[in-house]
Amino acid sequence: MPVEILYSIRNLDVEYHTRGGDVRAVDSVSFDIRRGEILGLVGESACGKSTLGKALMRLHRKPASIVGGQLHFDGRDLMALTEDEMRTVRGGEIGMVFQDPMTSLNPVQRIIEHLTETILAHEPNTSKKEARLRAGKLAEKLGIRAERLNEYPHQMSGGMRQRVMISLALALRAKLVIADEPTTSLDVIVEAKFLDLLRELRQEFDLTILLITHNIGVVAEVSDRVAVMYAARLVEIGDVGSIFANPKHPYTRGLLHSVPNITLGDIELYKMEGAPPSLLRPPTGCRFHPRCPDVMAICKRKNPPLQKIGSDNQVACWLYGKEGDA
Amino acid sequence: MPNKDNGNPNANNEAWRNELQQVGFVRRLFQARKWYGADWWFVAISTAMVFGFIFVALFPQWLAPYRFDTIVGTSFLAPGEYPDLPMLITRTDSPTNSLQDLAVGANADRPVIGAIRGSPSAVAINEQSQIVDEQLVSGNSGLRLRPRIERYVTIPALLDAITAGEVAAGVANESEFEEYSGDYPELHSGTTISGGTATAGGFVMGTNDIGQDVLSRLIWGTRVAIVIGFSSSIISLLIGLPLGLLAGYFSGKADRTLSLVMDSLYAFPGLILAIAITAVLGPSIYNVIVAIAVLYIPTYYRIVRGQTMTVKEEVFIEAAQSIGARRWEILWRYVFPNVIPSVAIIFSINVADAILTGAGLSFLGLGLPPTIADWGIDLARGQRHIQTAWWLITFPGTAIMLIVLAFTMMGEGLMEIFNPKLRER
Repeated sequence: MPVEILYSIRNLDVEYHTRGGDVRAVDSVSFDIRRGEILGLVGESACGKSTLGKALMRLHRKPASIVGGQLHFDGRDLMALTEDEMRTVRGGEIGMVFQDPMTSLNPVQRIIEHLTETILAHEPNTSKKEARLRAGKLAEKLGIRAERLNEYPHQMSGGMRQRVMISLALALRAKLVIADEPTTSLDVIVEAKFLDLLRELRQEFDLTILLITHNIGVVAEVSDRVAVMYAARLVEIGDVGSIFANPKHPYTRGLLHSVPNITLGDIELYKMEGAPPSLLRPPTGCRFHPRCPDVMAICKRKNPPLQKIGSDNQVACWLYGKEGDA
Repeated sequence: MPNKDNGNPNANNEAWRNELQQVGFVRRLFQARKWYGADWWFVAISTAMVFGFIFVALFPQWLAPYRFDTIVGTSFLAPGEYPDLPMLITRTDSPTNSLQDLAVGANADRPVIGAIRGSPSAVAINEQSQIVDEQLVSGNSGLRLRPRIERYVTIPALLDAITAGEVAAGVANESEFEEYSGDYPELHSGTTISGGTATAGGFVMGTNDIGQDVLSRLIWGTRVAIVIGFSSSIISLLIGLPLGLLAGYFSGKADRTLSLVMDSLYAFPGLILAIAITAVLGPSIYNVIVAIAVLYIPTYYRIVRGQTMTVKEEVFIEAAQSIGARRWEILWRYVFPNVIPSVAIIFSINVADAILTGAGLSFLGLGLPPTIADWGIDLARGQRHIQTAWWLITFPGTAIMLIVLAFTMMGEGLMEIFNPKLRER
């Protein structure tokens, strides 16, 4: 099957302007999202995953701004769009599912109003009746019964609300759904159901999903490819199977080791040395070098570029560097 | 309000019922907040009071015995005191009952009416018979009333004359007649000379310094209080709410400037500002409303702005952006409905405040023209006679207290119901 690029991100920089100085939460990140795939984006808390997710919709707010990079979505340059044109992309072509379904719906609006409003916002010519009909059909597909559509968000469970959030993204047949830790606040059974739903929807709606999470298990379960972020940079990206079987970057290796496992028995869980660096004053060279078990001289001086390794994987590490010392 | 957040609703319901059966009715009433989530009776009583006041304000003409500006009796009648009106006194066997009965044809002999020399009743009979005469003439009845007034020095002399038939009727104040009526069984008092019978039991709340009914003025005054309270609150709401919403949502330079203006307005002593505004604009009900409205704009502005700034950081606002909602759409459909509950509470308390300020202004003689029935004006007029006529200030004062209490209690009660954090567990 030929690989078709849906969203190409090149050298994306996002900065937060704070009193302590500018914090670069996303530092020249480049990767592609392929049409029809589920791409998992993993990393520790505060490594910039959510900022990246929001930047992909140009949804960042005041202290944050995109300071550089190119965003090409489905043949269009998103950076060149005006705010008004961008609005039609949001929801219309890229949808978003937030971490906490308890707070991501308007408490004073009925579920059906959320859906019809989304449809009417993008297709003002649609009649209200038609919008309601469409919303009802869509909700049924997602397993929301018709009589529940007249309820308010607080009357629904977390799993149901997450379904509503997804249906908002699907109401206009968004091509890409950015799911920002969608299952974090759900219990495991609801989480499993939700992940099944994601897979089904991908089949049915021909959906591409960027799944942002810190839960490695979720990524292993549903993703086709996985991207690993560390301290605002992308360190490794590639096919899930090969990365889980043979992680190249020392950080990825550490991350996979730290996942609790029932077969582990009494052996103590692996804990990575040190703590993630402050982005206000990041380490020189490779940002992982203070914690890296395989650190070399060059790591402290120079930042490793992402380079192709194997058939489809990329890694940013001098261990695999052919560049020699520069 | 049912208790919602304690786990299993069925088990909770069961416990609720058990507990309910164990307590008596009175305790149940007082502990109602445990089951309904707030002092429901607090809200119920105050809401009933508020609606009562609004009803009185809408239909004072049905409830008040007189108009607020009619002079109905002698001044300074205490509550329940019988008004001492000049009465028409006749023999019991005389057919004459009112002044009209004394009217005769134009050429007939003029009737003779007895009165006490130099007494107010003598003046009154003169005036009243002229009025009746004019009515008869304009009514083309062919009758006239032009009595000859025969003056006597003492009451017994007058009563003797009536008994003897020297005069057709006599005029004396009711109290004067009552004093001697035992000695003259053949005499009785008919109607007051102005036609009506004296109000039975006098005036419930007495009369004021110029003989107006205090109760009627109180009832008509409700209208002014409600009008001032509501319209000034609505005006400040209509200005403060959108400003607060816009400032809170868009922030930036305009917000900072506006907040500075509002804060300075807020920091300025309220009543002094209102006094200054009405002093410049002149006394009229519209100017009072404007002055009070200006006073309370910052209250709405600050609350709405704060709420907006909280709401706009909520995830569902970001979610709305992520589905491509327009900015004004987010403001109108997402922020505004989430701000409204706190505004409703402020509004109720604000009406009470506005009524109080309005009364304060007219008490100082700055607010309303004195021809209007207003509690503040009544208070100001009454305080001059505070030592002799307690009823002049007691009733308007109580009315002000009750209306302010009703609105404030309603606001506080609503706040407790809407704000679960204040709820007692």
